[in-house]
Amino acid sequence: MTLELWSSQLGLALGIFVLLPLRNRSRSLQLAVLLALLALGLVPVQGLPLVAYPRALVPELSIVALVALGWVALVRAGLAQPLPASQRVTLYLLFGALGLLLYPAALGLGPLDPYGWGYGPRTMLVVLGLLALLLLYLGHRLAVAMLALATLAFALGLLASENYWDYLLDPLVVIYCWLALLVAGARRLWSARSRPLAD
Amino acid sequence: MNQPKSKRAALVLGSIGLAAIFAFAWQARPAPRLAEFALPQTQVVPLPDQQVPVFESRFASSSFRNFAHASAISALPNGDLLSVWFAGSREGASDVQVRGARFDARTGLWGEEVVLATREETQQGVKRFIRKLGNPVLAVTPDQRLWLFYVSVSIGGWAASSINAMYSDDMGHSWSTPRQLVTSPFLNISTLVRGAPVLHADGSIGLPVYHEFLGKFGEYLHLDADGRVLAKSRISDGRFSLQPTVVPLDQQRAIALMRHTGEDRRVLASRTEDAGRTWSRPEVLEPNNPDSSLAAIATPRHGLLVALNDLKEGRFRLSLYGTDPQLQQWKPLLDLDESPDEDGRPIEESSYRRIVAEHFLKSSGTQAPGRLEEFLSSIDHRFCSKGQCKFTYDYPYVIRGADGRYHLVYSWNHSLIKHISFNDAWLETQL
Repeated sequence: MTLELWSSQLGLALGIFVLLPLRNRSRSLQLAVLLALLALGLVPVQGLPLVAYPRALVPELSIVALVALGWVALVRAGLAQPLPASQRVTLYLLFGALGLLLYPAALGLGPLDPYGWGYGPRTMLVVLGLLALLLLYLGHRLAVAMLALATLAFALGLLASENYWDYLLDPLVVIYCWLALLVAGARRLWSARSRPLAD
Repeated sequence: MNQPKSKRAALVLGSIGLAAIFAFAWQARPAPRLAEFALPQTQVVPLPDQQVPVFESRFASSSFRNFAHASAISALPNGDLLSVWFAGSREGASDVQVRGARFDARTGLWGEEVVLATREETQQGVKRFIRKLGNPVLAVTPDQRLWLFYVSVSIGGWAASSINAMYSDDMGHSWSTPRQLVTSPFLNISTLVRGAPVLHADGSIGLPVYHEFLGKFGEYLHLDADGRVLAKSRISDGRFSLQPTVVPLDQQRAIALMRHTGEDRRVLASRTEDAGRTWSRPEVLEPNNPDSSLAAIATPRHGLLVALNDLKEGRFRLSLYGTDPQLQQWKPLLDLDESPDEDGRPIEESSYRRIVAEHFLKSSGTQAPGRLEEFLSSIDHRFCSKGQCKFTYDYPYVIRGADGRYHLVYSWNHSLIKHISFNDAWLETQL
């Protein structure tokens, strides 16, 4: 794994890994497949490593996306229990709301650019630090791990970006959260409608 | 009893860990400080009335066969010049390269074109598939490093552009591997360069950029001396302004002039009074702007010098204007190049060849009259369609060298890059 491509290669490998039916396979086979997938990104295709092609569309995944994919991979491998529904919804709400705050304005809706807040992000660090503490006390450990690891990676400059937002969010995370919230909302509405009315 | 105790201990430890991580980030990533503008360091230049007026014209590019466009120029510390532009079979083609040429100040001649960046080299450097290259700009920083910033697209059109940066520590003879700046949260797309970079007093670089994905607006990127993005501010918002050219007036104040893509079709201006951190709402100025790039520079005695297409439609005339720092009084100084038809209507090919040959000879200075036949044989779709031909003069870029001389480059019929240079004494004669 070359240093500058680590997040793209890891994202590509984990993304494929979670789609493979490996739940009941041995640990050694699961590990071997993951390592093979990590190596896959480096396979040269027309003079470029394979991972350079998905990078044309998604140059770098956020740390939050990598932690999420890592968690799902652990669940698929049978090494972790799935999150309770309430904790999943908390994650969708948290990162869906951050995406709603960031993307429309950063793409030009209105004069304010919240993306600029991500450089030397003193206010963001205070707000998200307090939010992480609250989530810790509420027992949302995966959400806390996502915020903590994203912040640590930002402090260490582990991605190409100098902007805190790029460690927290990417469009794939946000679109997934929005879709998951829509599906959850539709299910709730459907179950409420199909419940028989009391006389 | 034990479980709540261990849970409490985990909470306390978790809180301490979180506090440590966020405090570390606070310390490691300080809030950016935007240094004041560095005002241009010119040598002691004689007063205009003690100079001989100079106005010279040449071509910076030498190949006739390509679509050549979006030129930029920089003065090098030894007095030479370096100009860059993109060239290929057509705009947006995969064979487009960033090319450059060096002007030897002693001989007064432009050297041969060289390739500075290709699509293949760029994608090898940034490890990302690249479809096409575009607009380059140059900056020489106080640490004697020459920077080249240029646009590339991986998927889609220009709206999906990213900015690449490479530098040279030997003034353009060898270059670093290109890398991509991360400037946008949405797949790092839609940040483009066009205007000349601005230097700050601490050696950092101000890069006027623009966004054209959903909105169209100007932005100001602040990079440190190593090319890392420190901050980004918005010059304008909405859907109608592009390609800011930023002109510092003093250490804190600057004007950004912008291309107008809306129906008003007039030059837009925004101002900063805190060295680029915040910008005023854009105002509409007097000159027309037919959705076309423009360039400006401060002059020691005359306010601003602005090169633009002052037209409602088309780019068949490129003009030089003088204006005051309030941008109230606009005085036309010279039409740099123009179509003989005052409305820019296409001209029948046989007449066109005669006229464009005259323009070519007039523009070449002493450099290239011997190449007229070669030039005429290169006339193709860039100039003519179905026997009707047109003149196009656009995308100006202007700098002032340390010797006080002005250098302006622009696209000459999308086939050559024209360079004109003049001094303050010549400017005086135009006022």
